[in-house]
Amino acid sequence: MNPKTMSCPLQSGNADVLLSYCAHMLDAERTELMEQHVAVCAECFALAEQQKRVWSALDDWAPEPISEGFDATLFARIAAEERGSAWERWMAPVRRWLSGDIGWEPVLSMGVACFTLVVGIYLQNPGRPDLTLPTVKIEAQELEQADRALEDMEMLRQLEPTAEAKEDNRL
Amino acid sequence: MMAVATIERDAELMLRVREGDTQSFAVLLEKYRGPVIHFLQRMILNQAVAEELAQEVFLRVYRSRANYEPTAKFTTWLYRIASHLALNHIRDRRHERNQESLDEEVSEGMGRQVASLGPTIEQTLVRESKFVEIRQAIQNLPAKQRAAVLMHKYEEMEYSHIATALECSESAVKSLLFRAYEGLRAKLAHMGGLEEEIR
Repeated sequence: MNPKTMSCPLQSGNADVLLSYCAHMLDAERTELMEQHVAVCAECFALAEQQKRVWSALDDWAPEPISEGFDATLFARIAAEERGSAWERWMAPVRRWLSGDIGWEPVLSMGVACFTLVVGIYLQNPGRPDLTLPTVKIEAQELEQADRALEDMEMLRQLEPTAEAKEDNRL
Repeated sequence: MMAVATIERDAELMLRVREGDTQSFAVLLEKYRGPVIHFLQRMILNQAVAEELAQEVFLRVYRSRANYEPTAKFTTWLYRIASHLALNHIRDRRHERNQESLDEEVSEGMGRQVASLGPTIEQTLVRESKFVEIRQAIQNLPAKQRAAVLMHKYEEMEYSHIATALECSESAVKSLLFRAYEGLRAKLAHMGGLEEEIR
């Protein structure tokens, strides 16, 4: 880029070069070329001067101090998210479905999968499942056996001859 | 060379955060807390909201740690999140903002800044008046132009990085900046630096 043949940034639609020059963002070589151009181009000189004043005014706009509890609040929020993250992970698809982000297709697929699983289990074990617990079953059997034993003993007692009958027999 | 080292360092820290090292997140927070909050302060012109949005920026960074890939410069990614949140906030609050008076906004935080700067009442008043002018000039810029100027002026970001942060082309950024500075020159070129004005 020869300064003698360098086209005016404003005329050639490269105003960004002039802005970068004012912001001191050009390298040394390009800065020098711009300085040479600005020295001979009244339009660029005027714009550069105005831009430097704007830049200087913006320099004086000091930011406000940051709240002391900023970090503590942030880390507390992160900790809260971490605690809730496991539950969130499980509930996220449901929440997305409820909010309308997910359509009915995945829900239908899940329903069909569950139905298939239930049918598969049923076909593998046809008939009514025995839902009674083994201990309950055993206890019921024991009671039945005890009842029978009592009945048998009662019957034997009835069949057993009375004391008088025994005496008669002896005589 | 220095910039490259910084990129690598930030990306390295973020990769450590991805591995579960919260200390590295604290280092990144310490480094970028100020710049991000100040960027948002100047974007939103409201200290409390700016800090709230900055919290959200860092929360999003933390939440995204598992998917982080150092494909772009860390700061570009960070300002992309920050500018996205700021632009959304401005868009959502536009109708309310129109009803607020600039004087009310200025009175929120200027007292502290001015009081610490000027020793005399006259100097204080001059400074206050200049700050109001600067804030008003910035506030009058369209939100995207404002974001571009703040990233260019205060964060010294390159056009390509501003373009990535604002999700537009580099030529669009150049155009945004040219129009923004044109507006600022019309309003602020008469003032120059505050020290100069006071003298």
